[in-house]
Amino acid sequence: MEAKLADATRLFQKFKAAFQQNDLETCSNLLSQLKVKLTEFPALPPLYKQTPTAIQELLLAMDIFEHAIVLSVKMEDQDAFERHFLQVKPFYTDTRGLIPQSQEEYSILGLNLLRLLVQNRIAEFHTELELLPSEAHEHPCIKHAVELEQSFMEGAYNRVLSARQAVPHETYVYFMDLLAKTVRDEIAGCSEKAYDFLTVADAKKILMFSTDRELQEYATEEHPDWEIRNGCVYFQKVKDSATCKEIPSLQLINQTLGYATELERIV
Amino acid sequence: MTSSKALGGSSRFDPDMRLLDTKRSGRVVWTINGSISSESNVVIFVERVPTKDGRVGFSDNCSEDEENSKGLVKIEESISGCSMAINPDEIERLEYDEPGSVGATTSMVGSTSVIHVSAFAVCVPRIYLKTLVALIEKGVSTKEMRLMVRVMRHTMAIRRQLNASILTSFLQQSLPAGSEPLSRLVPYLSQEEEKDMDIDAPSPPGQSQPPAKQNILPEVEIYAYLLTLIFLIDQKQYEAAKTLSVLAVKRVQNFNRRTLDVLAARLYFYFSYSFELAGCLSEIRSSLLALHRTATLRHDELGQETLLNLLLRNYLAYNLYDQAEKLRSKTQRVEAHSNQQLCRYLYYLGRIRTIQLEYTDAKECLLQAARKAPSTARGFRIQCNKWAVIVRLLLGEIPERTTFMQQGMQKALRPYFELTNAVRIGDLELFRSVAENKASTFSADKTQNLIVRLRHNVIRTGLRNISISYSRISLADVAAKLHLQSATAVADAESIVTKAIRDGGIDATVDHANGWMQSKETGDIYSTQEPQTAFHSRIAFCLNTYNEAVKALRFPPDAHKKELESAEKRRERQQQEQELAKHIAEEDDDEF
Repeated sequence: MEAKLADATRLFQKFKAAFQQNDLETCSNLLSQLKVKLTEFPALPPLYKQTPTAIQELLLAMDIFEHAIVLSVKMEDQDAFERHFLQVKPFYTDTRGLIPQSQEEYSILGLNLLRLLVQNRIAEFHTELELLPSEAHEHPCIKHAVELEQSFMEGAYNRVLSARQAVPHETYVYFMDLLAKTVRDEIAGCSEKAYDFLTVADAKKILMFSTDRELQEYATEEHPDWEIRNGCVYFQKVKDSATCKEIPSLQLINQTLGYATELERIV
Repeated sequence: MTSSKALGGSSRFDPDMRLLDTKRSGRVVWTINGSISSESNVVIFVERVPTKDGRVGFSDNCSEDEENSKGLVKIEESISGCSMAINPDEIERLEYDEPGSVGATTSMVGSTSVIHVSAFAVCVPRIYLKTLVALIEKGVSTKEMRLMVRVMRHTMAIRRQLNASILTSFLQQSLPAGSEPLSRLVPYLSQEEEKDMDIDAPSPPGQSQPPAKQNILPEVEIYAYLLTLIFLIDQKQYEAAKTLSVLAVKRVQNFNRRTLDVLAARLYFYFSYSFELAGCLSEIRSSLLALHRTATLRHDELGQETLLNLLLRNYLAYNLYDQAEKLRSKTQRVEAHSNQQLCRYLYYLGRIRTIQLEYTDAKECLLQAARKAPSTARGFRIQCNKWAVIVRLLLGEIPERTTFMQQGMQKALRPYFELTNAVRIGDLELFRSVAENKASTFSADKTQNLIVRLRHNVIRTGLRNISISYSRISLADVAAKLHLQSATAVADAESIVTKAIRDGGIDATVDHANGWMQSKETGDIYSTQEPQTAFHSRIAFCLNTYNEAVKALRFPPDAHKKELESAEKRRERQQQEQELAKHIAEEDDDEF
């Protein structure tokens, strides 16, 4: 076991070196080799065998997965991120008593929160949030994500966008960029309900486009019912008839017959 | 000295006492009806003599000056000494009566009024337990789950009166001497007995007990385990309770009897409860899962229900909402067998739904749980109400003031009341101060994160108030009214307003060029179908309630056969009548 451990550590050193040089290709190759090696350690979840080298094994595996997460962010692979995160999660929850808390833990968890926010998986976002102890909320990474969600729910999109400048960790930038796209869609959705029309200049500013052309493309692609003429964007609203003039006869008949049968049953 | 004290600390007899006082017949006689000897209904007479201050005291053939409360001790001793044949009436009564209730009837014998207290056994746990065992046996022989449920309800009624000596003698009587469970259970009690100094009547070792039956029912054995376990938990012996519960659960796994389900479910509950009290709930998660699997395979529906709830509780104790929801959605739902378990399930479900932002469903679950819960479960109802209040706030509703004024809940719900107030006014400052001041309460209730979510509801409510009050208002004013403090307050206000419009919170349009918000005129609701649908949903609810009630009715078995017989008889009678008529007619003919 010692030999295997040393072997894996050596490989991991190599991975780290490549990681430092941003050699993503080599990194992902080495990572798959490392993952194969990790399967041979019995102390890892879900077995949790009490081997003499259990602590080293756990620490190594946790380190590897944490790096894997950062790597997946660099490679902009969200699926890989989710996979790796799920693998590292047991290390944060189930091995609390065995190994010391990882220094990267909160930034990784914050990153995951951000990812859920970007993917608009708000329910899961809150589920994850519940798992965090109260002191975690003070950590800048977690706080960042929580405040983002709040602004997002409120509709204070300016705050969301300005938060990009204040990212607590360099890996967060990728998701913040993605978030900007989500925010634009949200704003577009809100605008078409709230405004009758906007001047092209205003629309550009609100939707964060630098040229008229971009706006035009966006409108034709995402919202074909928008109409741009006379220097204004008209949002074609579906005018839903507020008052119902017609009597819904079929529905009424159904209901009344239902009452009749029920009453018949009682009497 | 008072009569209620005389009756084993029970004050349940008081109303009857008053009834007697008015009679003033001089000598009042208590008869203990049945339940002790099969020889006669009247076994022990206790004379009750009015004392000088008009009260009635016991005088069990001893002089008036003596301590009156001794009367009862004597009765109790004499009862536990005599051989106990259990009156079937008593079993019958326990089947239908509320636990702990005492049915007393009075009748006049000559000039003395006689009270037949048919439930005297309530005050004497020894007899009560004995009767319950008989009830279990009846339940097993008739395969009636209902009786088992009653046994547990009655057990809870006397739970506080149990002590080590009562339990020891109960175990010795109901379990065969030298049997494994007996030798296993008694040591737990004897430890307790040494500590328990104020035992009033330690059982004499050579008591004249009827020899216990050699083949005891598994149900009785498990019941013995259960009683001991409950007793240990009540005595705060959590470590002992833990070890015993593990043994008991192992034992119950050996049986596969449907009549055992009710008791087994209770056992699982206390198994989990003792671990919870000892603070190591996560240890038993895998065994609970295994038990749940077994229960599912054995079609033990009550067990499934109970174990699912225990698992949910287990997960939620560690905030593992994800796992809880996965388990809940993957398990097969069985039809509810027990109201308590249904309440718990709804509460846990409500909590999961709340965390996952499905507020409408969550509200339904939580309110239903609070309504279905028995009124004695105050703590549970408080919890349900707390969560329900937050969910309703998150939905944008304002709970009525009466919610917070429910009996015995005012104090516990106070922080939530203040919170509601802040949301109702739509004042962000007030909301912030409440959330900060009561943070400890909220984090203890695990609602802290939900309170954070509420912030945007406060804004929404404020916005709605503004939109109702003003037909047109500039966005700068909106920002000022909402206390938005940032460099880009107006832009913030604009985006908040647009989002509120999109989500349907307010009905308005924004004019970007002029920088104002214009409210739309609210239409007449009676010109829409809204009232009709509301009316329909109410009617449907009433009809549904009626149908449910009809379904829940129980009919005595063979009740319909009686009618058949009478129909047969009627046919016979008609036949006879016809024959008679024929006879008469023939006779008439003969006369000619």
